[in-house]
Amino acid sequence: MLTSMYGIIIVGSSLLIISALTSIIAFRFGAPLLLVFLSIGLLAGEDGIGGIQFDDAESVYFFGSIALAIILYDSGFNTKLQSLRLSAGPSLLLATAGVVITASIVGLAAHFVFGFSLLEGMLLGSIIGSTDAAAVFFLLRVGGVTIRDRVRSTLEVESSSNDPIAILLTTVFVELLARPDTPSGLLAFAITAFQQAGLGLAFGVLGGFVIIQVVTRLNLEAGLYPLITLGLAVLCFGITGMVGGSGFVAVFVAGVIAGNAKFSGIISLRKFQDSLTWVFQIAMFLLLGLLASPSQFPDAIVQGIVVAAVLTFIARPIAVWLCLLPFNYRPQDTAFISWVGLRGAVSVLLAVLPITGGLPSSQLYFNITFIAVLVSLLLQGWTIRPVARWLGQIVPPKTGPLEKIELELPGGTSHELVSYRIVPDSPIATGARLPRWARPSLILRDGASLRLHDAGRLQTGDHIYIFTPPRLVPMLDRLFASAATSVDEDDPTLFGQFQLDPTQPLERLADMYGVRSKVGSELTIAEYMEDRLSGPPEPGDRVDFGSMDLIVRDIDGSGRIKAVGLYLGPEYEPVDNQPFFIRWLEALHSFRSKK
Amino acid sequence: MDLGDLLAPNGIIPDLAAKSKKQALQELAARAADVTGLEARDIFDTLLQRERLGSTGLGRGIAIPHVKFRALNEIVALFARLPEPIPFDSHDDEPVDLIFLLLAPEHASGDHLKALARISRLVREPTMLERLRHAKDAAAIREILTTPAASHAA
Repeated sequence: MLTSMYGIIIVGSSLLIISALTSIIAFRFGAPLLLVFLSIGLLAGEDGIGGIQFDDAESVYFFGSIALAIILYDSGFNTKLQSLRLSAGPSLLLATAGVVITASIVGLAAHFVFGFSLLEGMLLGSIIGSTDAAAVFFLLRVGGVTIRDRVRSTLEVESSSNDPIAILLTTVFVELLARPDTPSGLLAFAITAFQQAGLGLAFGVLGGFVIIQVVTRLNLEAGLYPLITLGLAVLCFGITGMVGGSGFVAVFVAGVIAGNAKFSGIISLRKFQDSLTWVFQIAMFLLLGLLASPSQFPDAIVQGIVVAAVLTFIARPIAVWLCLLPFNYRPQDTAFISWVGLRGAVSVLLAVLPITGGLPSSQLYFNITFIAVLVSLLLQGWTIRPVARWLGQIVPPKTGPLEKIELELPGGTSHELVSYRIVPDSPIATGARLPRWARPSLILRDGASLRLHDAGRLQTGDHIYIFTPPRLVPMLDRLFASAATSVDEDDPTLFGQFQLDPTQPLERLADMYGVRSKVGSELTIAEYMEDRLSGPPEPGDRVDFGSMDLIVRDIDGSGRIKAVGLYLGPEYEPVDNQPFFIRWLEALHSFRSKK
Repeated sequence: MDLGDLLAPNGIIPDLAAKSKKQALQELAARAADVTGLEARDIFDTLLQRERLGSTGLGRGIAIPHVKFRALNEIVALFARLPEPIPFDSHDDEPVDLIFLLLAPEHASGDHLKALARISRLVREPTMLERLRHAKDAAAIREILTTPAASHAA
């Protein structure tokens, strides 16, 4: 008994360590990290070199649900209300109607191509109906690529909020298939969906506020705060599920509410949750990899690839196009959003449900899903960067790398302590002056502590410590970051062809270029852009204007827009070697604008 | 859309003498009036209005002033080379000696932008500016502007 316990512990912890170490490889090559974890699970499993026998679907689903709840809570916690505001409408439509449309199209395809029954097809469609938050977030950040604001936040909010709907659909279809005599029909379905989402939302809001109250009111040992918030989140998940709501919706909402509140200790909470989320993601993928039996894959490989293809090239583009119709996205944006529809852990986890529900041919669903997810991660994961560049989604990196430590001060002060190491070719090292509000309290040079007036000019390699209100930290970052790499000042796709005087009235610009402007005529160009951007403007931010883009070229000391570029559109005629689904989207788009 | 089709028959001025941005625009407006039949005064005024939004200087000695007119039926381009570069408020502070003037009909919004983008790409081709500056006469300039570049690699 004891030896087997230690054996399991040794194997489990080794897998965890190997997974964490391989992340280095993934970062270097930009391969989706999750793919790596999944492969390790596969390798360790029954058909791999590890040969571990494991097929306890029930425990995988149980553990996976908890892991998913925590992951969703964390992604809610890190969703800024600002970006929610920027893209709430489109993302939420994508996360609800989008999932239903995607699932239906895949379901119909499975029904007609593979001869599944309609219900079985729909089940399969629902299982892979949602995009994977972890994969999307990871791919949008990796490699120092900065994606346009609105597109990025649409994708992020969509991917972190669409799991509950897919889970809901899957549960309902498993139920319908397992017990054919249950009252089915659209009405019953709609009622269930409504109840799940409504209760989830209500309990999520409640849970979020309870978490905030507990953290701000209770005076606990600092190390216990992360535990108590996490406990509350999982509790919220459990209670909501118990009363028939969607616990996944609830934890996500609770996370959004708690994460956007201002309370001291939030930085350490974030750090704790960050690493915990990694643990759960790795563990979930390892388990799912272990559960799979690659020796059965050949039987499902054709179906898996066809499903992935239908999903990527037909279902997702149609769903995205339909959902974004009311929202004035450019065709390139729509195309990029439909390309970044990565599937991931949630789909594989949902594929476990038919097994636990005892459905016939449930192993086939699992294998098809597993292959479809692998294909999606590989295909989209490897191509995301060239596709982003080619669809004009990349904005210049705002700053280069930065060496910084942020310390929160106890007692809810309005200041925090930041420490920077001065790196070569940062503005501060090349002679920029520190603003008056950012006097360093301490300078460390060659192991000696100096006061500012003893230190003289700041030098490369100095560590400096500054007390500052958190809202000013981004401005300091700009001073201390090394120069952004590989920004071609002459590249019109990044900065626009013409420069504009941002103090001029927008109306005049609209007149000159025949853009029907829909905003108040008294705004200046700068005011209009600041209105449309989320958060403080930064160089490279863009706002669409008719078929053109207005691009922030420069910012003055107080964070206002100082110079603006006008981007007319691509300078090269569209070429014919575009993937067909994008050309297809463009055709749809021009059809719409002709109407 | 080919730049050769847009360039007016006598729309190339190989040596335009002007002391200031204003004067250059005035001269170009006069020539554009000959070509299009519009009032030189109207063209000039609209050009000035456009410049108030921000200089149409692209940097590296190039400017592409551009405006739209209701009374125009098709896009018209003119090109002027200045022996003496003039200040043009470009963001790189370089004086300008190569000016493309683009006039477009009110309704042709998309084509107008495409033509502008096309010129802006053209002048970034590596040897283009050099060749334009050394071309000996209007015919040689037209030749350079209409011959498609050898490589179109994106």
